[in-house]
Amino acid sequence: MSKITKSSTAEYFAKNLQQVGFSSPLKAVLTTLKEAVDNSMDACEQAEILPEIEVQIQRVGQGSSKNTDLIKISVEDNGPGLEVDDLAKVFGEYLASSKFGKGQCSRGQQGIGISAATTWAQLTNAKGAFVISKTASMRKAVSGQVDVDIKTNSGVLKNKQTLDWDDKKHGVRVEFAIDGRVQLNGDGGLITYLEGTVLVNPHLTLKYKLLDNDWVTIERVSNDVPDIPMATLPHPHTFKLGEFITHSTLYGKITLDKFLKTGFSRVSDQSLKDFVAKGLPKALLSKPLTALRPEDFKKVFQIVQDTDLMAPSTKSVLTVGEDALSKSIQRLGETDFFSVVTRKPAICDFKPVVVEVALARFKHRNLEADEPVQLLRFANRVPLQFDKSGCAITWAIESVNWKSYGLSQPKGSLPLGPYIFAISLVSPFIKFKNASKETIDASEELVEEIRRALMQAGQKLSRHIKKESKEADLERKLAHIEQFGPILVESLVRITDSSDARKKRAEEGLRKLLGRDSKDAMEDLEQAAIKLAAQKTREAKRRGHDPDDDTASSESEEENDIIEVTEVMKENKKAARTTKKAADKAGKKSASSPAAKKIATTNAAKKKAGTKKK
Amino acid sequence: MAKLISVRELKIDIPKEAQILAERMLSDLEKSKRPVLEAVKTSLDNSFYNPKVGYLTPGDKRVRTELNVSSVQKLARVVFMLEILLRNLDIGAVNTKRELYYICKGLIKNDAKLRPLDFEDQVESDTIVDFIGDMLQVYREELNCFANDRGGQTYSQQLVVTETMADGEKATIDLSTLGTAPFQPKNKPQSLRLKARKKIDFCLVIESEGTANTLQSMGFTKRNNCILMGAQGVPSNAVRGWCKLIEEELAPPMYFFGDLDAYTLQNIFRTLKAGSAASLIRNSHFSAPEVRFLGVLPEDVKKYDLPFYKVRESDPAEARALKKAKDALENDPFFLDKKNKGLSDILRWLMKEKIRCEQQSLFSVDPKDPIKMEKIILEKIRNGSYV
Repeated sequence: MSKITKSSTAEYFAKNLQQVGFSSPLKAVLTTLKEAVDNSMDACEQAEILPEIEVQIQRVGQGSSKNTDLIKISVEDNGPGLEVDDLAKVFGEYLASSKFGKGQCSRGQQGIGISAATTWAQLTNAKGAFVISKTASMRKAVSGQVDVDIKTNSGVLKNKQTLDWDDKKHGVRVEFAIDGRVQLNGDGGLITYLEGTVLVNPHLTLKYKLLDNDWVTIERVSNDVPDIPMATLPHPHTFKLGEFITHSTLYGKITLDKFLKTGFSRVSDQSLKDFVAKGLPKALLSKPLTALRPEDFKKVFQIVQDTDLMAPSTKSVLTVGEDALSKSIQRLGETDFFSVVTRKPAICDFKPVVVEVALARFKHRNLEADEPVQLLRFANRVPLQFDKSGCAITWAIESVNWKSYGLSQPKGSLPLGPYIFAISLVSPFIKFKNASKETIDASEELVEEIRRALMQAGQKLSRHIKKESKEADLERKLAHIEQFGPILVESLVRITDSSDARKKRAEEGLRKLLGRDSKDAMEDLEQAAIKLAAQKTREAKRRGHDPDDDTASSESEEENDIIEVTEVMKENKKAARTTKKAADKAGKKSASSPAAKKIATTNAAKKKAGTKKK
Repeated sequence: MAKLISVRELKIDIPKEAQILAERMLSDLEKSKRPVLEAVKTSLDNSFYNPKVGYLTPGDKRVRTELNVSSVQKLARVVFMLEILLRNLDIGAVNTKRELYYICKGLIKNDAKLRPLDFEDQVESDTIVDFIGDMLQVYREELNCFANDRGGQTYSQQLVVTETMADGEKATIDLSTLGTAPFQPKNKPQSLRLKARKKIDFCLVIESEGTANTLQSMGFTKRNNCILMGAQGVPSNAVRGWCKLIEEELAPPMYFFGDLDAYTLQNIFRTLKAGSAASLIRNSHFSAPEVRFLGVLPEDVKKYDLPFYKVRESDPAEARALKKAKDALENDPFFLDKKNKGLSDILRWLMKEKIRCEQQSLFSVDPKDPIKMEKIILEKIRNGSYV
């Protein structure tokens, strides 16, 4: 029999870095950046500091492996900083984490990611992470190189030095030089990652420079540091029987009723009555835990699972919130439509979950109408960028019938259109399919919960699309009058060999007829605009803004939209009147009406293109 | 240019009718009244079947297109295309639909004012041509628009065809002198006259062109006084008109032999025998009501132990054919008619058994006998084993 040897955790991961996101040079760069930013964000939030993060990615030479570049990734934060003794542990030791199994919605969970990045740097460039750190209590900053001692799974701090770090009071800067390749855009792109991070972190100020591009600064839109929820008492519906019994051993000799009330959240006196009504013997409730037999535990457990309880506390899950998300989305560019939905917390697979959805269309992005929507997935406010086809979020989107909301959608696929769909899932325990946290495991309950959020957002979207299609309809109809009327009349005149006088009379008649039609189209548009405005007013009210208040509206993009919609309606009414007059006057158009302007603009454009107009 | 031979005795004068129509539209416009164009509704819900007539005929339903901002494009295109067709009639030029599409493109390219009319693809211009035909209730051939000659390759030792050409010249084609080459029927069957050198016992239309070819190569027409034809799938206008002509001029018993599946029965055989809903106004000249379904019949599968396979409902095309079969049994007047109960029974059987059996499966009966298929076909004809 061959000898059984024991490997360290670091040895395992050093051989299996592909499992934690280092499966290609492209992914290596993104994963390293992601792990460093996650750590910075978590550290700031835990210390209740508004995060300011600076990211720089440079191509500094040729990589040691084939077809790679040597990429330098620097991430600097204004977090609380790390004590000197912790530097080696944080950056050089696997499973050394302050968050493991805490039941909090932090980005990092196990303490693998950043050590894996150090290992990758070590494997490909023979140098680990270069770190600078300063806490508020340190007079000078400390710098050094952290390597992973693979054999012992421990971090080693080398070349330790102290230095003056500008005027920085506290923070950490980490630099990795690794073999990799840089992709800026697309699903696995660095910009996609950074924009996603900005979107779901309204309180983040991010400054970044990617390769030879200029520095970009995105300021925060919220001054509230998210209150990282404390780990609350567990909800009984999140337990399995074995966990339930183990949990009881922590409570000693207390009675069952006290255990249920003090050991779990959402179990009240009323809940105890409900348990009894469901068949739990009253006598059992007053028995001490130590006197319960395994079959008693099973019965209690089954009845508790079978009884409706209040949903788990919202305190245990963190939401970005509709208001903050609405503001944050504007940081990615000027939108001409967006809708956000934050669902109430729900239990899926025994875990509290909150789903948030933002759908947006940006004015200056080159998204194609016949391409699938751009999908941004988030788990605990971290973008997920690979393997989207197996993800619960993708499944949920594909299961919604987007055609009923006005988007085209090939069967069983993502809908098409120039939209960004951002879906964020927050939960203390997200079940990922792999250690690199790229795909959320798709359970039926979870897919259904995401699906509901999407449908709510889709309903809002459909009002917007309806108004747009009415606008397009009106535009098309106005264009039709201009384009096809003269051709029709001229062809008829030719076939019948008629005079110019008849031609003139027919043209006038035609304009009258079609003028009536465009008036109807304008009225349709008006109705659609009213419905959309009503929806926006409702949303604004729900968020505590008065849509009629000028001060409030100047602060909110949404209110601006409402005013715009109202103005569009007024303009449309005016346009309808003008068109009627125009039709009556047989072609004499009022220059002041928007409809006339639209026609005039079209005409001007056509003249430019060399098109003769009547 | 010589005048083309007409498809039928037309009761209307197309140019005159078109002028009346244009005059009415112009006059309506002068009065600010919305002009309306009406065409026969060519769909199954406007189809009627009378076994004495033998083909699908149109009901009273009409498609009305009234001028408004949405329809002004269609109306302008109709009048534009009408002008082209009238000019063709005037000078005696003929075109296919694709050629008409490009003629439109050419006219539009050279006149900036016409640019809004431009067709994105041929389907758009085809729709307009069909609408004009349905509106005037004339065949597109009567508007000098002909389809290409597809399918219907014919073999016979007895058949002699006389063709009157556009310039009035006559050509005689004796099919027995063509060697292995088939006679390709034209989509202008009106220009053909038929004669048989000997009494023709039957006409056999085979769904598969390849199988018809095999039968011919193995001497089918030498041993039988017959006409043998390959339909090449869904019968084109040429095949339909050609079968109709054979039926009218020579009146031989007509048989169709093809796959045993819902698609063949509804799309191929029904179209050959009774026309289609899309061509309601032309079925009288483009269908052969006397043709019988020789097989493959459900009973043949058992009798000859023919290999078959299950319909894969996961295959979209096969699933669609089954769904269409269900619709046909509920809504298609052809299959609803008592006279065609035998055919609708086959459809029902196919839906129940969910199998399909191909015409070539007859080659499995006696793999060593190259003319076994011929023997089975003749046996079936002799025994009256057809529907």
